[in-house]
Amino acid sequence: MTTPDGAGAGRLLELAEKLVDFGRRSGADEIEVAIGDGVEFSVDVRMGQIESLVEAGTRGIGFRVIKDHKTAFASSSDLREETVRDLIRNAIRRAEMASPDPFSGLPALSSTLVDPAPLDLFDPEIERLDPRTKIGLAVETERIALSDKRITNSYGAGFVSGDARSVLANSNGFLGEYRRTHFDLSVALQAGPTDDRVEDFWFSAETHLRDLDPPEKIARTAIARTVRQLGPRKVPTRRVPVIFEPLMTSGLLGFLFSCVSGTSVYQRSTYLAERLGTRIASDRITIVDNGLMPRRPGSSPFDAEGLPCRRTKVVSRGILESFLCDTYAARKLGSSSTGNAAGSGAGPNNFYMEAGPHSPEEIIRSCPEGLLLIRTLGHGMNPVTGDISRGAFGLWIEKSEIAYPVSEITISGNLDEVLKGIEMVGNDLEFRGAICGPTIKVAEMLVAGY
Amino acid sequence: MGTNPILLQPKHIRAVRTLRVHWFSELLQGNNYARMAPMFSFEERFGLTPALLRGILDAALSSGGDFAEVYAEYRTYESIYMEEDIIKDTAESVALGVGIRVISGEQTGYGYTNDLSPERLRLAARSAAAIAASTAATGAADLRRIGPVASPFRVEEPPSSAPLESKIALVRSAYAACQSADAAVHKVKAGFQSSLQHLLIANSEGLLAFDERPMVKLTCVAIAEKAGAREYGFSGGGGRVGLEHFNRVLTPEEVGREAAREAIHLLDARPAPAGEMPVVLSPGHAGVLIHEAVGHLLEADFIRKKTSIFWDKMGKKVGSRLVTIHDDPTIPAFRGSYAIDDEGTVSGKATLIEHGVVRGLLQDRLSARILKMNPTGHGRRQDYTDIPIPRMANTYIDPGETPREDIIRSVKKGFYADRFQGGQVEDSGKFTFSVSSGFLIEDGRLTAPVKQATLIGSNLDILGRIEMVGDDLDWSQQTGTCSKDGQDVPVMDGCPTIKISKMTVGGRE
Repeated sequence: MTTPDGAGAGRLLELAEKLVDFGRRSGADEIEVAIGDGVEFSVDVRMGQIESLVEAGTRGIGFRVIKDHKTAFASSSDLREETVRDLIRNAIRRAEMASPDPFSGLPALSSTLVDPAPLDLFDPEIERLDPRTKIGLAVETERIALSDKRITNSYGAGFVSGDARSVLANSNGFLGEYRRTHFDLSVALQAGPTDDRVEDFWFSAETHLRDLDPPEKIARTAIARTVRQLGPRKVPTRRVPVIFEPLMTSGLLGFLFSCVSGTSVYQRSTYLAERLGTRIASDRITIVDNGLMPRRPGSSPFDAEGLPCRRTKVVSRGILESFLCDTYAARKLGSSSTGNAAGSGAGPNNFYMEAGPHSPEEIIRSCPEGLLLIRTLGHGMNPVTGDISRGAFGLWIEKSEIAYPVSEITISGNLDEVLKGIEMVGNDLEFRGAICGPTIKVAEMLVAGY
Repeated sequence: MGTNPILLQPKHIRAVRTLRVHWFSELLQGNNYARMAPMFSFEERFGLTPALLRGILDAALSSGGDFAEVYAEYRTYESIYMEEDIIKDTAESVALGVGIRVISGEQTGYGYTNDLSPERLRLAARSAAAIAASTAATGAADLRRIGPVASPFRVEEPPSSAPLESKIALVRSAYAACQSADAAVHKVKAGFQSSLQHLLIANSEGLLAFDERPMVKLTCVAIAEKAGAREYGFSGGGGRVGLEHFNRVLTPEEVGREAAREAIHLLDARPAPAGEMPVVLSPGHAGVLIHEAVGHLLEADFIRKKTSIFWDKMGKKVGSRLVTIHDDPTIPAFRGSYAIDDEGTVSGKATLIEHGVVRGLLQDRLSARILKMNPTGHGRRQDYTDIPIPRMANTYIDPGETPREDIIRSVKKGFYADRFQGGQVEDSGKFTFSVSSGFLIEDGRLTAPVKQATLIGSNLDILGRIEMVGDDLDWSQQTGTCSKDGQDVPVMDGCPTIKISKMTVGGRE
């Protein structure tokens, strides 16, 4: 299929500018135009055979128009000029039916511009990578995983690659574009007999192909993560220390993001709304949002409103220092945007907890009895109250050693207590996604079993 | 906030099976008004003539393969959002695209595009054809349009032809009712969404099918505050109906008041208990239990891959004989309903469990062919960029004979789960569902209100522990969405009052 090439970029920038101009001439006070253009390849392999192969290209366009401080949005995957012009004209008409909102409107043009080049988000390797190689990576990953006798079934292995160009223009004079590649190799497995199956997966996701973990490493990790759950027990209900593996810490941080998003704050739908400048976590905890880390999945030169991305310290040694805002939330809160506009409220860039001094083994050894949390199931996280209650799978720790797997239990607590109760922070931070953290030990949570 | 979801994110393909059912309204009576808007024409609008479709199907089969299909979709969407006493914004979107699929043995090739020029469509067909790049070319049969199918859609006043003001008025009414319901309500958000999906499906067996699927949704969120405590309430409704629904079946005022009521109720609730105990599930909302514990695990893709705990249980007893479960996409006006599925198969009711015995599966074409069974009309996809897979539509458990009061009276000490947020299951049968509010049961009576708890169990254990089934079948709110393999589709769940003799409750006390 087509690749977003250089000529394509020029055309898209031109189209975006032309539509901004059309919007202004049609009566919009302000207009923002975003265009996305991408190609996707994905292959799923199961039991050594290709299960599905997807190859496609898509484009989409989105607008925000403001007239008399009233806002309307529109988007389309039909890029024919007539459709797009109709949508803009309609949006201007619809805007008149919204209410005037003094906080609405586009951000002023920023004086700083981030150069996309040093962010290194585009891997030219994607154009040389042929389908056979991509299929081969998935086949090899699954083959190694299935060679382990303890693995009794496979959900399959998958390889995904993507190449997307983002273009943004607005009537305050912003015009920007960048291109990002994405590679993902994963495998998901089952172990045990039909009525006592356990499952898990592992993956590697990077903006650059050569940063991807090799099939061997992904397969071995997936095997180990799966078989360690075989023969689980249920434990009696009690309060114990809980150690979160890095992926579990990431889940907790995803929940925290929804509580520090400026959008939730002005909507008063977070327990942290009035807590700026106060202690919200143990003094071992520092949490950062950084959109400018080279090659990281959450990086970009500018956010969805065209403001430069940057580094924001959200929690510094336990003290809540900043909410994360788009322009609208920032105006509501009397602060300034942190470069976190995501098209619909605020979104994370690279949102992570800084690593601490302890190895995961050391953290387990510090714990005479407790739960090593390895997977969760279900929702049960409420940003309004901070309450957490989730289905859990883990390894039970006895006498400071991993003793046996546990399942069909729940963990519950409150994010405020959990963050303040963090006693140890691991040295094993890895950037596997836009939101990530190291191993952490929480002093106490309620584990419900029998 | 409005939607401007355009900076493309690469699609993440990983199996996640979750359901978010927020909570519901009253049972919808299927009113039998005929839907009739002039049929949209892909041929007139986008030049997709039968000859072109046939040509694309031939191109898709040019490298061999057993089956080819063209799925064309044109969807318009509109939304209105209100908070802080003002209409913040409105949004409109258009989704247009074609997905082309080739099946060769058990393998699927797929290409999609939103440029509908003949050259681009043929290019997408060739991408899909790559899967079969070894055998000789085959060809497509002549296309024959399938005859009229009874429609489960009930639209008198299509939202697309109503003025924006009338839809804004619905949002304002819900908002005002919520805000004025109680002085403790500090923050309200209300929204309206409607969509109209036109689709065309043509395949190499000669099928040519069209449909247009309407959908509306009105929702309200309340944040209540009292003495430093803050709680959240949600309510909503809609379905495959027109605007008349909000006049006859569920008024915007009811939606607003209900959201307020839940938030206020939670202000006085205490933490839920923790540990194993008898659990009674309220009617309607608790259908999420059946969706997770049974529905997903009888989706035929998990059966043919033998990943589901049910793969070897066909005809076997897996639960209490009180349990009979169906999935019916033909229920009028329901959110999960459709006349034909996303492969053009005419939809029909499937019985999954009968008196505790596994009787049927949810099939798409591919799984049905591999398992040598019949398609059941449960092949669904989120949109043209997705390969169809077996999915649920409207899943429910048959009512029993026990009155609700008798069920509650039978419990000395336990947990009554009243409102649900959603659930999740894995193929081993371990599943959870999250309760947003409930009550303690003490000496056969509902006593203290309690909040937030996730319940966890194994499906074979829990199905065996269903001790009592009420006579009061009810349905979830018309707002539920089910997510599988990264694809979201609208669903409904139904359930009478149910008693589970023992289940782990993950409260905080």
